[in-house]
Amino acid sequence: MDIAYYPGCSLHSMAHEYDQSTRLVCKRIGIQLHEITDWNCCGATAAHSLDHHLSIGLSGRNLAQVDDMKLNQVTTPCAGCFSRLKTASGELKKAPMQGEIEEMTGIFLAGAKDVEVTHLLQLIIEQIGLEQIQKQVVKPLQGMKLAAYYGCLITRPKAVVQFDDPEQPVSLDRLLQTLGAETVNWSHKAECCGGGFAASATEIVVDLGGQVLEAARQAGAQAIVVACPMCQANLDTRQRAIEVDRGITYNLPIIYFTQLLGLGLGFTAKEMGLNRLLTSPSNLLAVSMV
Amino acid sequence: MAVEFYRPMRLNNLNSSLQQEIREACDTDVEMCLECGKCTGGCSNAHIFDYTPRKIVQLVKMGAEETLMNMDALWTCVACHLCVDRCPSQINIPRIMDYMREKAYHQGVKARRPNVELFHELMLDSIKQTGKVAETQLIIKFNLGSKQYLKDADLGRRMFFKGKLSPFSPNVKDINQVRLMFIRTPVHKEG
Repeated sequence: MDIAYYPGCSLHSMAHEYDQSTRLVCKRIGIQLHEITDWNCCGATAAHSLDHHLSIGLSGRNLAQVDDMKLNQVTTPCAGCFSRLKTASGELKKAPMQGEIEEMTGIFLAGAKDVEVTHLLQLIIEQIGLEQIQKQVVKPLQGMKLAAYYGCLITRPKAVVQFDDPEQPVSLDRLLQTLGAETVNWSHKAECCGGGFAASATEIVVDLGGQVLEAARQAGAQAIVVACPMCQANLDTRQRAIEVDRGITYNLPIIYFTQLLGLGLGFTAKEMGLNRLLTSPSNLLAVSMV
Repeated sequence: MAVEFYRPMRLNNLNSSLQQEIREACDTDVEMCLECGKCTGGCSNAHIFDYTPRKIVQLVKMGAEETLMNMDALWTCVACHLCVDRCPSQINIPRIMDYMREKAYHQGVKARRPNVELFHELMLDSIKQTGKVAETQLIIKFNLGSKQYLKDADLGRRMFFKGKLSPFSPNVKDINQVRLMFIRTPVHKEG
């Protein structure tokens, strides 16, 4: 299966381990990723916050390159990038918008608007399938009790995304269960972590991220599993600030789903970059690696 | 579709064009609001908003453009999209927020959260210069720009030792293609 790959800025810097685990896991399960040749930032929160046309143009350029690569599908492991690419694809299908963005970018977008956009989790669930994954599990995640965290943009807005359920998503839970782990029932699987405010309004991340950590703790999870570099960064890098704010020690590792999928497929913790997480998952790994 | 049987009354007789403007620019019709409050009930940040999502929709109906462009909520909405997904009339509130923020920004309305605005500007500047975002440089510029010189210094040290901070700036090869968008975007042309 040949698919264009849009890593996004985070996966080339702070979330390097997400990129690393994604590439190894995809290769193992039969997805050939082809990184978009000369991709640019999707504009993230900044572009859509201040300039709608610019945000569509930035993602339009990336989609046009997928078309130039003669591929009809692009996947990204970042929920934010996914949302921007998917939104752009929808906006470009409206004739006046396609014209306006073509004029702005000087790029022909007829092929770009038909490129299918999927989040990596969606791609694995819908196009590889859990049965196939099950067959390849060599090291089940026995004894792990995990909170599957979807956040906002993987399943919302429903009309744009059309994946899983926006209120009670289950896809990540099923994947983790397929790997042999137990997932907890909890209240905050689709609540917001604070999004793009980690630096500019840190108190919002401490507030919203704190509620997510507390809900996972109350549900008895040993770790939170994410499918977005922004969710990971907010819950991991702000965890100490949240602990100070709430007077509770959480010590909850925030792990990318590809890292755990990789462990199940037989990769080592080091190959999956698990040593790069700020909140160490060593206790959790000790449970499973006996 | 709700359109078939629901006939809401108008809140005002100001003959505001804002509602029409939003309908065209955001492809969403505030006239369909049931005032049920599900948007506010689900909103991640309603507890810190000066105007909650339900009120924001009413403000659009009333044509209260100044209030909308000056509200704090414009800068603290996390764009989690809970409101639009729960709305029985599919009113696209996150898009309305973006539209009003963009309008306020380009009319030079002073942002109620200057740090949030500054962060957006620095991020867009990074994209304009290199086509991508260099996270480390962005954070340093933000701390300098917002005069919070020691903000997250300890966190930065921990992240550095985990190899999460890169001193290198990634670059798009065909950067002129990206820069062209910044020059030609309709809002810039008007300005």
